[in-house]
Amino acid sequence: MFNVKMTDAKLLRDMITAISILIDEATFDITPQGIKLRAMDPSRVAMVDFEWPQTIFDEYNCSEPMKMCLNISEMLKLLRRVGKDESIELSLDEKTARLKMTIRGKYVRTFNMPTLEAMEEEVPTPKVTFKAKARATTDGLREAIEDASLVSDHVRIEADNEKMMMQATGSLMGATIELKKGSDALLNLEVKEPSKATYSLSYLSEIVKAASAASAVTTLEFSSDMPIKLNFEQEKEGKLTYYLAPRIEVE
Amino acid sequence: MPTEFRTLAELCEKLEGTSKRLLMRDLVADFLKKVQADEVEPATSMILGRAFPKWDQRTLEVSWATLRGVIKRLANVDWKEFREAFSHTGDVGAATKIILEKGGKIRKQVTLFEKALTILEVRRRLAVIAETTGSGSRERKERLLETLLGVATSLEAKYLVKILIGEMRTGFFEGMMELAVSEAFQIPLDVVQRASMLAGDVSEVAAIAKVQGKEGVLSIRFQLFRPIRPMMAQMAADVDEALRGHGGESAFEDKLDGARIQIHKSGDKVKVYSRRLTDVTESLPEVVQLVRDQIGAREAILEGEVIAVGKDGSPMLFQHLMRRFRRVHNIEEMTKQIPIQLYLFDLLYLDEASLITDPYVERRRKLKAISGDISLTKQVITNDRAEAERFLREAMSRGHEGLMAKKLDSRYTPGVRGKRWFKIKRTLEPLDLVVVAAEWGYGRRHGWLSDYYLAARDSESGELLMVGKTFKGLTDTEIIGMTKRLKESAVKEEHGRVVVVPKIVVEVAYNEIQKSPKYKCGMALRFARITRIRDDKSPAEADTIQKVKEIYEQQFEKKARYP
Repeated sequence: MFNVKMTDAKLLRDMITAISILIDEATFDITPQGIKLRAMDPSRVAMVDFEWPQTIFDEYNCSEPMKMCLNISEMLKLLRRVGKDESIELSLDEKTARLKMTIRGKYVRTFNMPTLEAMEEEVPTPKVTFKAKARATTDGLREAIEDASLVSDHVRIEADNEKMMMQATGSLMGATIELKKGSDALLNLEVKEPSKATYSLSYLSEIVKAASAASAVTTLEFSSDMPIKLNFEQEKEGKLTYYLAPRIEVE
Repeated sequence: MPTEFRTLAELCEKLEGTSKRLLMRDLVADFLKKVQADEVEPATSMILGRAFPKWDQRTLEVSWATLRGVIKRLANVDWKEFREAFSHTGDVGAATKIILEKGGKIRKQVTLFEKALTILEVRRRLAVIAETTGSGSRERKERLLETLLGVATSLEAKYLVKILIGEMRTGFFEGMMELAVSEAFQIPLDVVQRASMLAGDVSEVAAIAKVQGKEGVLSIRFQLFRPIRPMMAQMAADVDEALRGHGGESAFEDKLDGARIQIHKSGDKVKVYSRRLTDVTESLPEVVQLVRDQIGAREAILEGEVIAVGKDGSPMLFQHLMRRFRRVHNIEEMTKQIPIQLYLFDLLYLDEASLITDPYVERRRKLKAISGDISLTKQVITNDRAEAERFLREAMSRGHEGLMAKKLDSRYTPGVRGKRWFKIKRTLEPLDLVVVAAEWGYGRRHGWLSDYYLAARDSESGELLMVGKTFKGLTDTEIIGMTKRLKESAVKEEHGRVVVVPKIVVEVAYNEIQKSPKYKCGMALRFARITRIRDDKSPAEADTIQKVKEIYEQQFEKKARYP
């Protein structure tokens, strides 16, 4: 048995939006303690690690651990219909293997969608020793990345003890964005070793854009030519973390 | 142990480097013996330049423009360097390799967990690319392509690009793959060939051969909803040649200027496949309905031709019919605008029994018995040349392309173009046209100007207007000669096209003149081929646009015009 209730349906919508930018189909791990998902995008360049303990929900009933696979983009189509001050209920009909979604607001609508065969692939956590750690407002980060996206499809992120820099070089134009330690956008910066690494902006901007609705503050950790970890802090409990592999220059 | 894609790329490189057929067969046979059972089908498909098995309806939908952009970004080169590499080799795969190697520093997207690129991993990624559809799919495909090529070595990238484009150019074809499968698993060649024909694809036969051996291959049967490659016909000059080829008697049938289709039926389920085996069921709802209503058999595989018809029922030009096939939206509207008519001519499978080894007349008889009200192509069986010729004239006067001549006792040989079936076509009056530009050839014709732009003079303005393009008809020696002459008269080279001073006149045969927005004159020759070089004629004596227009109009005397 699995059924849950949330008074703010928008929370679910934002979270599914954030997940949908990397994957089309998502296999959720559902246990009496909560919901988890860890998945890589088809290119295996980025990964999302998501967790919601049962306390996030207003009601949470799960009798035994199970896996539930959903077509995320289809689900998102339905969730886009969610408005302000609406609540949502999800329940899985195990006989028909369909997920029922009831949205209550000014009126009540119930959608149902099929669940898919769960994928068994276990995704490990990337093992990286991070040398630089920055805490920034998600909005500030999003703006900076949008600026960089204007001129190029990739960005070099550099950090030393004073500042974090973003450098984008396109075929015609270039951009340098500086975030100083203690500024409005950059809340904190800890650098064990000056680090720089280049990342694809198509991934980065989509991730940050999608996650910004679900989080106000982001912690980013990276090392030279290593993956970057973006942890979008959640107001309540819960976890929304992404890893993104770098672009490296090879001879 | 999963096989790395690198091994497959190295194999292809060896195939490309030799023209010894036996060596090629042995190289591939060895390879097939070594790979894992679940790798045989993907490997076999990829060696033949296919992302998926032939019967599989998935397509990558990756345009060269998209792929080109990805390669350029990866290699970090500008367009000039990019174009240079391409004009050097004339092969996209080889050029990709050169660019990736010479670009110096390239920026590679790495993955989170470094994993060797195996054959199965390549297949998985190709499947994801094919499954990426809908809004934003172009960007997502680009991303997938970029990471796929990004994790590949330059040699792997060379063959990945070839597979993505669907052209291997290693000189290793399907027939040789059958030889290799036969050799690798010690199964007689005719058994492999028969199974490959029935399964519609050699890669599946290879996979079955690996696991189940000869017994497994022998048990392969026709499968409904898996299209079979169509049997093809050779061109015959006239009815006489056909009669002689068939031992004095042939079944002559209207050759319709339509699209050949294969229809699979099981109960109420009906699917329609094009000549190239793609599923076109959605585009042709009337065919589905007709087959459901009329065919008096539970299971059947039928072959026929659909033609577009005008209000009076006479056939319309081929190009209007093609608009039906490309349709995905407003199909209902299209069924009204371009009505079609179905003619059946063959029956390959009937209620669990394959008929392909039955004589043609027998298949046709069975077809007649189950086809209800659906028309069969008009047929005359004769040993009389005069009667056959009269029938040919009639066929043409009814607006058809010509005749098919089929050997009465011939079995159906999927995918084979042989003398059991002949086509006899009307040809329109040849045109003398001026070569105004040429393109460099690819592959074997690399380094030759082998693709020619043909123009006719507008007698009013004096301007030379293009009406077509062809790389067909000339011998190698003639192409070399043409290349030399064209280079001497070259004015400029742009976008791989060499523009020349118009000097050379060629005689061009073609099957039809169609309306085309591509050329300024609004017309284009279909299936143009050069029949000879007219050194006796100067460009001033070449045919005019007015004459082309006249022939174009004549076509409608027998054919309905699209409103």
